[in-house]
Amino acid sequence: MNRLSDRKIVGKTLWLLAAWLLAALVSLNIGSVSISASEMLRIFENHGETQLAAILFSVRLPRVLMGSLVGAALASAGAAFQSLLRNPLADPYVLGVSTGASLGTILYSIFVTTSRAPDSGGSFLYGRPLAAFLGAACTIAAVYVIGGNPRAGETSQRLLLAGIVFASFLSSINVFLLTSTNQADLRGIFYWLIGDLSRPVDPSIYVVAVAVFAGFALLYACSHGLNLIATGEEDALILGVSVPRVKAGVYAVASLVTGAVVSVSGPVAYIGLICPHIARMMFGSDNRILFPTVFVFGAIFTLLADTLARTVLSPVELPVGVITALCGAPLFIYLLHRRRSGA
Amino acid sequence: MRQLHPEPAGDTLLEARNLSFSYSRPVVQEFSLGLPPGKVTGLIGPNGSGKTTVLRLLDGILRPTGGDVLLHGSVPLARLSRKEIARRIAMVPQNGGSYYYQSVFEFTMQGRSPHLSLLGFESERDIDIVRDTLEMTCLSALSHARVSEISGGERQRLLLARALAQQAEILLLDELTANLDINYQVELMRLVRRITRERKLASLVVSHEINLLASFCDWIVLMAEGKIFRQGPVAEAVTEESLRGIFGLDFFVRRSATGPLEILPVLEP
Repeated sequence: MNRLSDRKIVGKTLWLLAAWLLAALVSLNIGSVSISASEMLRIFENHGETQLAAILFSVRLPRVLMGSLVGAALASAGAAFQSLLRNPLADPYVLGVSTGASLGTILYSIFVTTSRAPDSGGSFLYGRPLAAFLGAACTIAAVYVIGGNPRAGETSQRLLLAGIVFASFLSSINVFLLTSTNQADLRGIFYWLIGDLSRPVDPSIYVVAVAVFAGFALLYACSHGLNLIATGEEDALILGVSVPRVKAGVYAVASLVTGAVVSVSGPVAYIGLICPHIARMMFGSDNRILFPTVFVFGAIFTLLADTLARTVLSPVELPVGVITALCGAPLFIYLLHRRRSGA
Repeated sequence: MRQLHPEPAGDTLLEARNLSFSYSRPVVQEFSLGLPPGKVTGLIGPNGSGKTTVLRLLDGILRPTGGDVLLHGSVPLARLSRKEIARRIAMVPQNGGSYYYQSVFEFTMQGRSPHLSLLGFESERDIDIVRDTLEMTCLSALSHARVSEISGGERQRLLLARALAQQAEILLLDELTANLDINYQVELMRLVRRITRERKLASLVVSHEINLLASFCDWIVLMAEGKIFRQGPVAEAVTEESLRGIFGLDFFVRRSATGPLEILPVLEP
């Protein structure tokens, strides 16, 4: 009997964490300045104030952690949306949630610039992630209203279509706002809109990290309920799941997690789409094992994608969103095709 | 000659008191019924008479627009969480179980959901219960088979198995025997009656098979247009007159030599 146990879940997750650690070490090691393993060891031992130590601790390490956080969050949100909508094509980017979160972030920074309010790096840490979350939450609500059919209940195809349309609409608002407000750093903004991890980390990252881990814990608590909802909502109700509460909760939490990281990285595409599929192939579709494994797997995937993004054209850095979209778009088409031919 | 709702003997595990439900038009009106332990109750009525709605009201999936559903005669269902309800009431829905990737064992394990801890892991006890349930429903040999691979008769047994794994005291079965050959229908109803008596469950069975219900039920409820037309012990409730009342057709009803009623509609082409 291929039974799922807590031991199996902890085992697989630890195994993935080890892989993440290895990927992190490799990523710390390479870049425009290569830091060899022995040099790294020496830096860790001495805490030396050398230039290499500065690169390692204030540039690469924060970036490695940030990339991991972004990947873990988007992959978990994607797994949650796919499970909730019972559709393998759902993810925060396709549903427009990421774009909504970036609109929130942009509006917040315009507000900060024009009102000269304290920047998110200063006293008000929550501002930017909160604005992004509100943008994400409003988007998913709007998509739900547009795509849902009050008589027949929402169908996942309609929701996805509404999401795609809404995403392109919001994305043009984003570009309009950015161009019309005379932003200085157009190249940086352009990168951020594609999904970029090269910006310096500011203290709001702590708020983001707390949101991501708390959100993950909440999603995990819903994992078995989501398994049953996949069987059918009526069956889930009969088997003791408060379906409306679980659905509303998962929509809200997945939007929170997405909004939190998008406020840092911008809307990185396709992580939420690819990672759950690969994790499902490796570990099965039971959400109780899928959620923890996809959390770590998303971290590894994004970390590696970002490492590639900053080294492949070194010293020029690509936005990480370019790499994830290069991998993700073909997979999306493949899934779409397989679905159509399977139906 | 409409009979006023007679009180079933003894205490009831689940009781509907003046239940009403309406969408734009009334679907169920003034529906009162008690389900006593150890008894199988049958619910008959033409299509659209509100049978499925009654079951969904009794399981708390729908909220009544009037009246109450009470557990043990006093606890209002509306006050319990879904999980608490699922520990007490198991239901086989009309088109249940569309998740065909699972194995028979995994599908039956879903029935343990209301008893699992927050993180949803099965204990050895849950596994034993599922094994026993599969044994009882003669599905042990198929426990590794996928739900999509088994026959229609086996699938209905599987839906019953999942409901039994809930170890609830109340069993609501919506068209459990639909689309089955007569031998499977009889086999399933025998099983339902045996388990109901052994475990002192209160069972409510909705079916279109009048003869099947008349043979296996202790109490029959006839329903038409959202209301109870008549209820009572089989011989009293199922008469030529009452069947004509709900179906608008003539019937022959007579007691067979061995005991159960024989019911035949008069089919005039």
